[in-house]
Amino acid sequence: MSVLAENLLSDAVLADSYGAVRKRAQAELMRHGFPDIKTEAWKYTSLRALEKRSLVPGEHQPASPPPVPFDHHLLHIDAGRLLSDSSSLPSGISIEPVDSNRLAGLDYGNRGGAFGWLNLARFEQGLKVVINGRLDQPLMLALTTPDGHADACHPRIEIELTAGSRACLVQLDSSNGSGLVNAVIDLKVGENARLDHALSRHNGDAIWIERLDVALAAGADYRLVTLDGGGRLTRQDINVALNASGARCEVDGSVLIGARQHVDFHTAIDHCVGGTNSRERFRMLADGNGVGVFNGRIHIHPGADDSHSDLNTGNLLLSEQARINTKPELEIHAEEVTASHGATVGQLDEQALFYLRSRGLSAEAAANLLKTGFAAAPLETAVDDAVRQWLLANLGDWL
Amino acid sequence: MNQTVEQVDRYIRQRYKAGFYTDIESDRVPAGLNEEIIAMISAKKEEPEWLLEWRLKAFHHWQTMVGPNWAMLKLPAIDFQKIHYYAAPKQQDRPKSLDEVDPKLLETFDKLGVPLHERARLAGVAVDAVFDSVSVGTTFQKELAEAGVIFCSFSEAVKDHPELVREYLGSVVPYTDNYFAALNSAVFSDGSFVYIPENTRCPMELSTYFRINARDTGQFERTLIIAEPGSEVSYLEGCTAPMRDENQLHAAVVELVARKQARIKYSTVQNWYPGDENGKGGIYNFVTKRGDCREDDARISWTQVETGSAITWKYPSCILRGDRSAGEFYSVALTHNHQQADTGTKMIHLGKNTTSKIISKGISAGKSNNSYRGLVRVARRADNARNYTQCDSLLIGKTCGAHTFPYIESANPTATIEHEATTSRVGEDQLFYCRSRGLDEENAVAMIVDGFCKEVFKELPMEFAVEAKALLEISLEGAVG
Repeated sequence: MSVLAENLLSDAVLADSYGAVRKRAQAELMRHGFPDIKTEAWKYTSLRALEKRSLVPGEHQPASPPPVPFDHHLLHIDAGRLLSDSSSLPSGISIEPVDSNRLAGLDYGNRGGAFGWLNLARFEQGLKVVINGRLDQPLMLALTTPDGHADACHPRIEIELTAGSRACLVQLDSSNGSGLVNAVIDLKVGENARLDHALSRHNGDAIWIERLDVALAAGADYRLVTLDGGGRLTRQDINVALNASGARCEVDGSVLIGARQHVDFHTAIDHCVGGTNSRERFRMLADGNGVGVFNGRIHIHPGADDSHSDLNTGNLLLSEQARINTKPELEIHAEEVTASHGATVGQLDEQALFYLRSRGLSAEAAANLLKTGFAAAPLETAVDDAVRQWLLANLGDWL
Repeated sequence: MNQTVEQVDRYIRQRYKAGFYTDIESDRVPAGLNEEIIAMISAKKEEPEWLLEWRLKAFHHWQTMVGPNWAMLKLPAIDFQKIHYYAAPKQQDRPKSLDEVDPKLLETFDKLGVPLHERARLAGVAVDAVFDSVSVGTTFQKELAEAGVIFCSFSEAVKDHPELVREYLGSVVPYTDNYFAALNSAVFSDGSFVYIPENTRCPMELSTYFRINARDTGQFERTLIIAEPGSEVSYLEGCTAPMRDENQLHAAVVELVARKQARIKYSTVQNWYPGDENGKGGIYNFVTKRGDCREDDARISWTQVETGSAITWKYPSCILRGDRSAGEFYSVALTHNHQQADTGTKMIHLGKNTTSKIISKGISAGKSNNSYRGLVRVARRADNARNYTQCDSLLIGKTCGAHTFPYIESANPTATIEHEATTSRVGEDQLFYCRSRGLDEENAVAMIVDGFCKEVFKELPMEFAVEAKALLEISLEGAVG
């Protein structure tokens, strides 16, 4: 048994109504094992940092939900369990346990999807949130861990927007601990529904692995704007399936990586049928000896004619020790499509720096202005004004 | 539009013109792969002991390896014990000149349009012709020798220039490099050897033509080109095979060494038998090609036009070791029917101020799958490295696939890397525009495809560019819709 399997799995399957699901997930995980750098999807991300961690259970005071400068409905999940009072939520939002039949049909594939299986085997409390109608305020989903948390937790949340609904989901991931957060979030956007999703994350020493699976019905519209402030080891998978004609998605992100940090974003947009559109733009800034990994995959399935897709990734290396590995992929199996991607890796433009300095800015201020301009562009697409301002303020604080 | 589809289909079904078989008696080693077979090949080639040892080391390493499974290819299991690893036309002794070569062989190369005899003088290209496992003749050797250039078969080089072979063999592609390179190192038969002395510009284009003829054989040639400081050479490579229902394996290794300010241009028009319209037969083309810009200001340029082979697995690469060294890769890869191609390049920037350029054009038709897979790696010390990559795919028909997998790894903040890729179909508006100018549909399609590939064709030597263009048109006939 690998070090990770010893640390993260237990012989005793959790005894609750999901027993069969958990048993199967654990068996799949044992069969495939955890990924290593020979696993294509984990080629640039080693799990050594996780292997070396001693994950220790302990009693801790739950974290407070992080403050945000706009009105919102709150779902606060700490170490995988719901803390906030769900009775204060408006009538358009209902919460129920996740359906074990649905979980039984999930398939996270082989070794590359090991953490999906792990979550299924070990999740603390599966929550399903149904949004019906148009929300008057953003719904804030705060995923936290208690201060000093050094254990593993496996939050699992499903959010479903019924047909024609519209919502703004603000997700805030934060941990001050040194443990593992292994989250799985399933989003289902119904026919002609629209979900504006903002994801902000800033971690210190915690290891954060998160998988976001999004399924879009006919005419559904999904917009994700993400700002990642870096962490010791962060791995974010974003999988969007455009399942019916008229579905569209836009995925924008900025990732700031500092010294001794490793952030890996893997995105996959699947055009399963024709008449679907996607656009994606990611920017990474790596400083110190930080490592940034971006893998963006566009997959247009057979028969998905009249699909259109564009992916762009821009990367800045800000120090001699920093590294960026980026791979924009296209897999096209249909004819009447347009698909394109672009990728750049470079440094701050010396001419622009010179120009700013000639206007009286210090070297640091000039560099900050350029970095902010570079990283802010994807965040500008956030639709809600207050959310956009909040993301830009976070960017300013974290740069 | 339907009319175009039919037209292109008809065009593509045109028979593979190089698919004939030459009935010639051949001498071959028994099928199978083991130490005795390797010793037998080495003995037939009268090789020195060190080379046999090297082959056996490669074989032992190969036995510890598993085949690559990461490419976007459906690779059928290959029974390596069923292949004959050496086959050569039967003859008493190696012919001393072209006049002694079996006329049947000369006729074969004539039919393929490869001038080995008097026409060669008119073409002005020196040719090394490799038939199954042996070189049957090399032209212009005397004229080249006057300039100090060595151009001969690999087997001759082992005998006549063992010090050069020993120094450079495996120095760019070691036998441990990958599964098929290890296999080739164990069983390689013939290939070309080129040595350009210091400050010499090779007086003519050099060319090798590879022909697989015998049944149940594989071709495992090895090519080594050494360009000394200040030298320059342009090398062309072509290949064909008979039409057969069985698959045949071609696993070659090409090593290029460019020293200070040397320039190597390596062009390939790959036209191995691609299999029939149902995907039956065809060559498995698993090739390792790599150039080493070993010293400052060296330049290596790869140009390839890939229209043949049932499966292509090939990534001509450049190691940009010297400061200011430059690597280029220009590629047109066309797949049709059930062909599969996973091809691209690697540009490894190690030296300072190194530059690389990648232009890749993929055309997919029928039920084929065509993938570009590339790596641009900038090492920590490669200050001011610069890369530009453009890879475009053209889709013709609803059942084919075009894929792009570019790996970009940068560990130096002064590097600038740009990558662009697009995938689209032959536009109806483009066809309409051409047709409204009086072109028929076939010519309109040919013109659009030609325009799509122009950036690559202009890098080919003229004779090859004409051949490549014609080959592409033939391969595309009937495919565009």
